Amino acid sequence: MQGANILLEPGVFPRLLQGLWVTVWIAAVSVLLSVPVGLVCGWLMTLRNPVVRVIMRVYLDFIRIMPQLALLFIAYYGIARAWNWNLDATGACVLVFILWGGAELGDLTRGALQSIPEVQHETAYMLGLSNWQAFIHVILPQAVRRLLPGSVNLATRIVKTTSLAVLLGVVEVIKVGQQIIDANRFQYPTGTLWVYGVIFLMYFIVCWPLSLVAHALEKRWAND
Amino acid sequence: MTETNKPDAHGAPIALSVRDLTKHYADAAHNVFDGISFDVPKGKVLVVVGPSGSGKSTLLRTIAGLEPIQGGTIALNGDVIETGQPGNENSGRVKRGEDLRTKFGMVFQSYDLFPNKDVLGNITMAPMLVQKRKKEEVEREALELLDRVHLADRAHAKPHELSGGQRQRVAICRALILHPEILLLDEITAALDPEMVHEVLEVVVELADAGQTMLIVTHEMSFARAIADRVILLSDGGIAERSDDPETFFTHPKTARAQEFLHSFDFVRHRNAQAERELKAFDDE
Repeated sequence: MQGANILLEPGVFPRLLQGLWVTVWIAAVSVLLSVPVGLVCGWLMTLRNPVVRVIMRVYLDFIRIMPQLALLFIAYYGIARAWNWNLDATGACVLVFILWGGAELGDLTRGALQSIPEVQHETAYMLGLSNWQAFIHVILPQAVRRLLPGSVNLATRIVKTTSLAVLLGVVEVIKVGQQIIDANRFQYPTGTLWVYGVIFLMYFIVCWPLSLVAHALEKRWAND
Repeated sequence: MTETNKPDAHGAPIALSVRDLTKHYADAAHNVFDGISFDVPKGKVLVVVGPSGSGKSTLLRTIAGLEPIQGGTIALNGDVIETGQPGNENSGRVKRGEDLRTKFGMVFQSYDLFPNKDVLGNITMAPMLVQKRKKEEVEREALELLDRVHLADRAHAKPHELSGGQRQRVAICRALILHPEILLLDEITAALDPEMVHEVLEVVVELADAGQTMLIVTHEMSFARAIADRVILLSDGGIAERSDDPETFFTHPKTARAQEFLHSFDFVRHRNAQAERELKAFDDE
């Protein structure tokens, strides 16, 4: 139990919270920007145009096959350096997570759009709605409801995957934890478990409300 | 409705006129139907009957513009609105203007209410978005229509809270509020439990009495007999028999094909007295 005292050292908690803020910031910006990217990708994936189809297929498969870490290295060490692009580590993370989130959300969106029964499109047509009106007032609201469980799952995966940012040198919550453990290695040899335990709880506190909200909305929309 | 109080079909102007209509699916060996022609006079009810797969629903869908036609013409109130083009099998829904589309009111077999809107929202959406009518006026009319179909108290219910029969009655209101020239009903009771069929058909009978022009595809022969001003029997890609005198068609069909077709329903009906009672109920109204 002695190791628990590491948490009481001055500055430990505020520093962990600062690290958590970096994690939450990267995740939140990535998730928020993934939404428009994903919706547009999803719409593009439903088009019949063969060129668009191939491009979207390659994009999705490329993002899915590559480990996120490899994507991060390509973005940060590869592209940014090769083109002398002034992209910092946090920016590279956000970029990769948007591309990843956009592709995955796009595939979810495609599935949701295609799951709307054809008769809904036909009814909108018979009522005189334009394609755009049908999409905004009929198809999209239904698709969003079907999209929700998968996209919340995706958001929590993005939150968790931000820990890879450590490897680009971003000082987020994991990195802060490592620093604290290293700095107190002799004073608190068993402190590791406690620091990572607190980090575990922090991730939980960030992700849990997401699944609560998703669960509540799912219930509310169950029959819609 | 009895035969005698049906207005004479011959004097009325023609609402819908179909000439030499031909429908073909890509890669199919035969045409779904080949050069069929018929008229629906204003204020009258044309019922299309026929065995499964005879193209009844497809006929309705081509008139609605949901599927392209490969030959013939469709005219509404004397204006040709569509001419068949060979080779356009895969061109999807016909490009019709919003105004023209609202002249055809359609009710499908099922699942056509918008689940994300309540009853009132379903009915008022198109008049407000497409016809740019005022919300208050549209809602007032929607409530009047709901009252006519005995659903005034369900205006704020979501579709999933309604029974199948109630949903179909809402769908009818949603089509009617646009004041369509013709109402197309595509087997609207086929997916309903038997006890709900009557409540929906009763509404349709009232509409017919009020002079709503309708083109109806149905499997309910007693209903067809009670409501039709004209009947066509669709079979093997063509009209096997047509009649301006439905009572005679249903009791003494001329062609062997019609006799055979109607006989199959007689068999069912004799086993099921319910259908007879329904017929009587319609006749009494």
